[in-house]
Amino acid sequence: MHIPDGYLGPQTYAVLDAAIIPIWAVAAVKVKKTLKAKQVPLMALGAAFSFVIMMFNVPVAGGSTGHAVGATLIAILLGPWAAVISVSIALVIQALLFGDGGITAIGANCINMAVIMPFVGYYIYRLIAGEGASTTRKVVASGIGSYISIVVAAVSAGIMFGIQPLIAHTASGTPLYAPYPLKVAVTAMFTEHVLYFGWVEAFVTMGVVAALAKQDSVLLDMKPASRSMKWVWTAFAAIVLLTPIGSLASGTAWGEWGVDQFQSELNMAVPAGLERLSSLWSAAIPDYAPGFIQNPLVGYLLAAIIGSALAIGLTWGIGRLLARKSDGPTDAPSTAA
Amino acid sequence: MIPALAHIGEHSSERRRRRRRSLARRTADAINGAIAELLYNDGLARESGLLQKLDPRIRLGTILVLAVTVSFLHTRPMLAVVIVATMLLARASRVSVPAFAGRLWASAGLFAILLAAPSATGWISPGHELVGQGNLSITSEGLMIATRLVLRVVAGAGIGLLVVWTTRWSDLLGALTALKVPDVVVATLAMTQQQIVSLMRTVENMHLARESRMLGRGTASQNRAWVVDRMAFVATKSFKTADDIYDAMLARGFSGDWPTIHQLKMGVRDLTWVLVCSALCVSAVALDRMIMS
Repeated sequence: MHIPDGYLGPQTYAVLDAAIIPIWAVAAVKVKKTLKAKQVPLMALGAAFSFVIMMFNVPVAGGSTGHAVGATLIAILLGPWAAVISVSIALVIQALLFGDGGITAIGANCINMAVIMPFVGYYIYRLIAGEGASTTRKVVASGIGSYISIVVAAVSAGIMFGIQPLIAHTASGTPLYAPYPLKVAVTAMFTEHVLYFGWVEAFVTMGVVAALAKQDSVLLDMKPASRSMKWVWTAFAAIVLLTPIGSLASGTAWGEWGVDQFQSELNMAVPAGLERLSSLWSAAIPDYAPGFIQNPLVGYLLAAIIGSALAIGLTWGIGRLLARKSDGPTDAPSTAA
Repeated sequence: MIPALAHIGEHSSERRRRRRRSLARRTADAINGAIAELLYNDGLARESGLLQKLDPRIRLGTILVLAVTVSFLHTRPMLAVVIVATMLLARASRVSVPAFAGRLWASAGLFAILLAAPSATGWISPGHELVGQGNLSITSEGLMIATRLVLRVVAGAGIGLLVVWTTRWSDLLGALTALKVPDVVVATLAMTQQQIVSLMRTVENMHLARESRMLGRGTASQNRAWVVDRMAFVATKSFKTADDIYDAMLARGFSGDWPTIHQLKMGVRDLTWVLVCSALCVSAVALDRMIMS
């Protein structure tokens, strides 16, 4: 997910480089408040751990290996604001010492991996694990949090790539930087992280949380967060309200062609298997457009609300199920932070 | 993530042997390669080449300006000129040009080619078809977009590599201090770099120990379980070390003040470099716009 120099135009990287500075400043203030004088060695070791965790090759299916970013794990261990600083330092060192990730793209990489990942991962973890949860619940919560966090960060990177043809092109419309439109860039980043990297991230985070619960469970105590969970819901509602923006992008994402698009957009014969299976399941709300809504933007928004409510309900249900299972003596008693 | 430098110039038989190695051995070798690269970089940064002789603040500042300039260039000839210029700069800084070019194209170049390839097709960039037909054809417009992206990425990566290969970490920290970056940030960066090397050695030794204890390669699930267990150990060790370091700081009389790492001085050479660099950047953008129009 490390974006090198050259993929993002000045309009994008300048904004992101400028945006990360106040985030670092706020993170420094928050960390100073919560971790006091031990902050420097703790941040340094957190950053070093963040760097080194990316060097562990994790065996995946078929003999291949992958590596995790570990940002959610760092956020669980240090708290989200401390994770912002630690992962940022690791990313800056990777760029300046190893040439991994661009110099102009430091802001973009930090926003994706050092801000979005720790915050999304940590608050999902907190939402599911709650206070004084059992080890099983913490492990599952860390897995869900890390999986969703890397997917969200990947989508963010996809958006950064995908807006390039819109905002930086020649008079004839030729893209000057990353050439893929939003639908292609976001779909590509989303798909590879949903299918592969998300699982690696979740497996590593769950494994380390489970092992830490046995080795040194004090490290898993809830770390100080700046605000109550209310703002997570507020931010979430804002994101849902912004979903109609997605309908502005025209065309079909690469590889997501339906039967009709094979002929109309690709001028290709519809594969027999696709034609046979396409009628197997009819979606309740096809193309994110409820049939009873005329306005496409309102329909898109309603689809986002329905989808989100289902996802939250499912997550809440899993959480309740795990909580019920762990009633009685917990196997990893938590102490106050 | 792990730099590919250690594998440059490797024979195919060596590569085959490497593929047969266990996961523990491969990871240990890769970490050893990364540490070797750090030492290699440090050795290059100690040379008395053009960039190394500059004040670190000037070197960092001008290289940042060069990176920004590359993002403003849009024509392929100018981007190609920048790539050649980075190689000349590497040569003037006593860096081996084949090693520089090899590293540049083997990592950033190859990745950029793979990523840019679909944009050369008619599906992403419809236009005059050179090879093939329809969405899978290669179009002249697409080829232009793809080559521009590859050249831009390689030019940007070349500039980044110049920083990596000609700047000692202590110089970089000195430059950051001089540029008024808060002392606590510089101290954290300094400590992080030291701890990264220490943790890398720990992780390498873990993998070597596992390799020496095992007769076979182990199953994937055994290896996965071992990897996450060791990650947890590294996490525990990291936080315990942080406590130890803080105790050591207090024992040595740490009072909350961070000492300045370097006293830097700018000279005529630095000012000349700033002028030459600025002139070249402005000329490059002006020429680029002329070619475009």
